[in-house]
Amino acid sequence: MANHATSYSDKFVYHEPGLQHQFEDMKQQEESVSIGMWMFLVQEIMFFGGLFTVYLVFRFRFPMAFSMGSNHLNVIMGFTNTLVLIVSSLTMALTVYFAQRNKRNWQIGMIVLTMLFGLTFLYIKYLEYHEKYVDGLVPVAGWNRKVKLPGTELSAPLPFETGAVAASEQGGEEEKPYNNPRGEFQWREGSKLVSDALAEEKANPNKKVLTEYERAGYLDPTTGLVDEYRFQEKIRSFFWIYFALTGLHALHMIIGLGLMTWLLWQAFKGTFNSEYYSPVEMSGLYWHFVDIVWIFLFPLLYLLGRHLLAGG
Amino acid sequence: MAEPHIESQHMHIGIPGYLVVFGILVVGTILTFVVALQDLDWIFPGANTFVALAIAFTKMSCVMLFFMHVRWSPKLIWLAAICSFFWLSIMFSFTMQDYLTRGLGVFST
Repeated sequence: MANHATSYSDKFVYHEPGLQHQFEDMKQQEESVSIGMWMFLVQEIMFFGGLFTVYLVFRFRFPMAFSMGSNHLNVIMGFTNTLVLIVSSLTMALTVYFAQRNKRNWQIGMIVLTMLFGLTFLYIKYLEYHEKYVDGLVPVAGWNRKVKLPGTELSAPLPFETGAVAASEQGGEEEKPYNNPRGEFQWREGSKLVSDALAEEKANPNKKVLTEYERAGYLDPTTGLVDEYRFQEKIRSFFWIYFALTGLHALHMIIGLGLMTWLLWQAFKGTFNSEYYSPVEMSGLYWHFVDIVWIFLFPLLYLLGRHLLAGG
Repeated sequence: MAEPHIESQHMHIGIPGYLVVFGILVVGTILTFVVALQDLDWIFPGANTFVALAIAFTKMSCVMLFFMHVRWSPKLIWLAAICSFFWLSIMFSFTMQDYLTRGLGVFST
């Protein structure tokens, strides 16, 4: 019974209102929460890292297919999205700042702003994806815009356009009508970089413009000329990588918006104060992490093929 | 009763500091865009990639140190953050040392 009395009185020892009973003090609690969140972020880095590895291998193997695909992405939208995410990171940091200072209304305002910027990002992403859908660049057969021009058969194989476009590129830009009765992936930009490289190699036989992998990957082994089908498959791989990376990132944005919604409700109820704001800070860590992924995705996907067009 | 507050909890650079970091991030974004339009291969092959990654790493460091408060975090957090890049570099380098030395392999067709 004596023991009972001791533990009874223990319950009235002062502790901070936000302190969970299993922790010694707020410092220990804070650190445990952060290290848990950081462990989660580390595995997220490895999660995205797998896809970045795919990107790395592809880019080392097929730099020309990479730069043609990369140049085809909408760089203005990518650039705008980068800025939108950076602003949302600022408002997220300020959310934590105001939560630590018991400023409930400012905190709510900042969460709402963060959510608005997050939604803007997703809307621009949607516009970008829609553009790819319209152009027939979604790498899954049947997921593209279906247009059946009169005089073409639905069951016939997709008329192969890249060769024709590449041929017409010599004579100038000629827009071919979009014809894609079964919504397949198609690449209408030709393979000009590769044929230029071949011409350059022909001019100086000592110069190797194409790598061994590219030679095997783009060229017809019998004729030694560009095989449009093979080249198209490499472009298709690029768009797989593009959609996988940006799609996974967009999924993280959607999850982040879910977190923000919950945070908004909690902040509205006045849950957070200078003593207890871990959920705000942890959601912030997640949001900033998603921002960091985009900081890498934007130059790697949208920009790194571009200097080849700038001509140097 | 008045448990002294852990100082490190509220350490940060304040609103002006946040705005400075934000400014650096915006400038970095514009810079990476402008530089990507120039062909830097005359410096060394792949200079464009190097510059773009250098800017991205700078931006990431700013976000991590100040927005994610790593600068005022315990050493354990530093360790977790740095180790993640160590594991990532293992994944990249071991994969690439295989792919780069393997001949044509599955990508030949």
